[in-house]
Amino acid sequence: MNRRSRQAIVAVAAVLSVAMALSSPGCGRKDERKTIRFWQFWDIAVIRPMVEQFEAEHKDIRVEVEQLTWKSGLEKIQAALASGTQPDLCELGSTWVPRFSYEGVLEDLTALYEVEADSFLMWDSAIWKGRVYGLPWVQGSRALFYNRDLFRRAGLDPDRPPTTWAELLDAASRIDALSPDIYGFGQNLGERYVLYKKFMAFAWGNGGVILDGEGKVRIAEAPTREALEFYLELSKFSLKEKQEVLDHHFKTGKLGMQISGAWNLGNYAIEAPGLDYGVALVPKPAADRGVHASFAGAEMLVVFKGSPVRDDSVELARFLRQYQRAKALSLAAGSVFPASRLALEDTTFTRDPKLRVFMEQALTSYTAPAHPGWIEMEEVINRTVEEVLYGRRAPRWCLESAAEEIEKIASKFEKQPE
Amino acid sequence: MRSNRNKSGAGRSAVTLFLLPWAVVYGAFFVFPFLFSFALGFLSYNPLNVAGTHWVGAANIARLFHDPDFAQALRNTILFVVGTVPVTTVLALGVALLLRGRIPGKDFFKAGLFLPSILSVVVISLLFKLFYAPGGALNRALGVVGLGGHGWLTDPGTALPAVMAMDVWAAVGYYAVIFYAAFAAIPDELYEAAELEGAGFFATLRHVTLPMLRPTIGFVLVINTIRSFQVFVEVLVMTQGGPLGSTNTLVLHLYETAFRRLDYGYASVIAYTVFVLSGIFSIVVIRRLRPGYATGGGGA
Repeated sequence: MNRRSRQAIVAVAAVLSVAMALSSPGCGRKDERKTIRFWQFWDIAVIRPMVEQFEAEHKDIRVEVEQLTWKSGLEKIQAALASGTQPDLCELGSTWVPRFSYEGVLEDLTALYEVEADSFLMWDSAIWKGRVYGLPWVQGSRALFYNRDLFRRAGLDPDRPPTTWAELLDAASRIDALSPDIYGFGQNLGERYVLYKKFMAFAWGNGGVILDGEGKVRIAEAPTREALEFYLELSKFSLKEKQEVLDHHFKTGKLGMQISGAWNLGNYAIEAPGLDYGVALVPKPAADRGVHASFAGAEMLVVFKGSPVRDDSVELARFLRQYQRAKALSLAAGSVFPASRLALEDTTFTRDPKLRVFMEQALTSYTAPAHPGWIEMEEVINRTVEEVLYGRRAPRWCLESAAEEIEKIASKFEKQPE
Repeated sequence: MRSNRNKSGAGRSAVTLFLLPWAVVYGAFFVFPFLFSFALGFLSYNPLNVAGTHWVGAANIARLFHDPDFAQALRNTILFVVGTVPVTTVLALGVALLLRGRIPGKDFFKAGLFLPSILSVVVISLLFKLFYAPGGALNRALGVVGLGGHGWLTDPGTALPAVMAMDVWAAVGYYAVIFYAAFAAIPDELYEAAELEGAGFFATLRHVTLPMLRPTIGFVLVINTIRSFQVFVEVLVMTQGGPLGSTNTLVLHLYETAFRRLDYGYASVIAYTVFVLSGIFSIVVIRRLRPGYATGGGGA
């Protein structure tokens, strides 16, 4: 290569570099807007228009939105906190919030709670030691799905789903007797994270509690024991399998009933369009006793402590939680509902009989106890239910062992971290 | 001389310069985490409260001896290693021997056998989850002889063997291809000599093929042992360690301890336990095979 060629190449490279530098975003004027870093789990295409609207209404703020995945989101948040690069505003699952609250990494939002307490559901998991650290955004409870065809075949009225434990047991046994490959009820087994959500519906409905308001472990008491004994009885007519297998059997008309979430409404419409099914409240212990309890999970918006844009982040959280936006998110997601109480009266959700059940169910649904050791407690409860369903030990002994283990876990968190 | 020394000095600088990017990446993403994790083992460390990190000495190590979940995970992991590594190695060797023969469509079979190795473990695990389901292919096939309907992954007695069987299926092809490639390095003269001596198939296998393959067998055993000690994705996708902890493995226990319970110090100790166990198993295998390696290589 001669000298002239080399000079030409250098000249072209220089021109290209300058051109690229000039065309880079922000060149020529510095963006002086404040930046809110917002991490969340929903489809960015749904969230971005809301954020753009917020930016349009707040000219001095720009929002950097990042979509996390449920698979690795928690690890990413932990890593960010450890390295001090956490976002300002973040979405957290309701079972995660108590540990974050306990560790003192969240901003205290009690003042906002005092204004909004009556307007939203699902505050429980955001409250730790009387202070509030999260804002409920959307929620989803579980309800009873039942196959109307199998009800007819079993001589049951498909317009009268079971409302009590006795009716549930009767329906399950009659459907289970139809054929060896048809099962009355679906119980989760052999997987983590799900078991307690299904079993605790019966325990809560019977007045059972894991921890009371004073932190006393009460899982071994009669209401939970009775629920576990009933669950064991129900297992005689149940398919005990993983959630995918239960879903597959329900979609193919081989499962009479199962407790599951609203995401199935959309799934069944696509994957099992001919399936004739209904949705009902989770049965309560007896007509004159207990409540139609179920598990509910919520998505919370939290602000990390030390955020330089704390107030703006709270403002963005309030903006996103406004009813029409939470509703738009819920409709796009198809698996959750706004945590706002306005959803309970909205005909979008109450007109459809199946959706309406989820609205009613939300009023008597429970979130996991707001305890920083919940993740470990959950494992104990899952193992307890499994041990009983596998016939390893009687419900009474299992629950007493569980109570001891939960007490040990609770004791680890008695002292507030420094 | 001066010129040569200058040249070699310049050469060393160039080598250092070229190695630098690799060294920086290796140091940042391997050496530092390795040492940091070691240090964590002696600390109480929680990423949500880094300021509260404090020295706990050997407390995290002592916990290993009082943790029933760890004991169960250790037992399951050793069962997994002992149950899969020899079976995979023998099957891979057998498949490689079959491929050596004159069979029609050999390339097709080679490609088919290697296919699981290029598939994601997550995909394979999801497929096998369906395969083992009550209405899945396995139960339908067994149903023909009246044995269907078993919940392979929900029965504590069959869940771990089911995951192990999947692992063997997924790994055999990869190691078979390694053995097949190793066959090419065995001089034909040895087989010709064996044939002249009147050695049959098994005598040739015992006295020629296996001794010559000892380094490769050692390599396969070590690599597969290390990989099997780290079994994680399969159980996370298929069973999440259940039922009743019957498929809980060391790395799954480590993952749960670190990322769900936020107990990074103890998780680091579990990580080093996996490292030490893998190392011990590997050293045992290498030592067992070393004399053979010398014999095979030296042509006794």
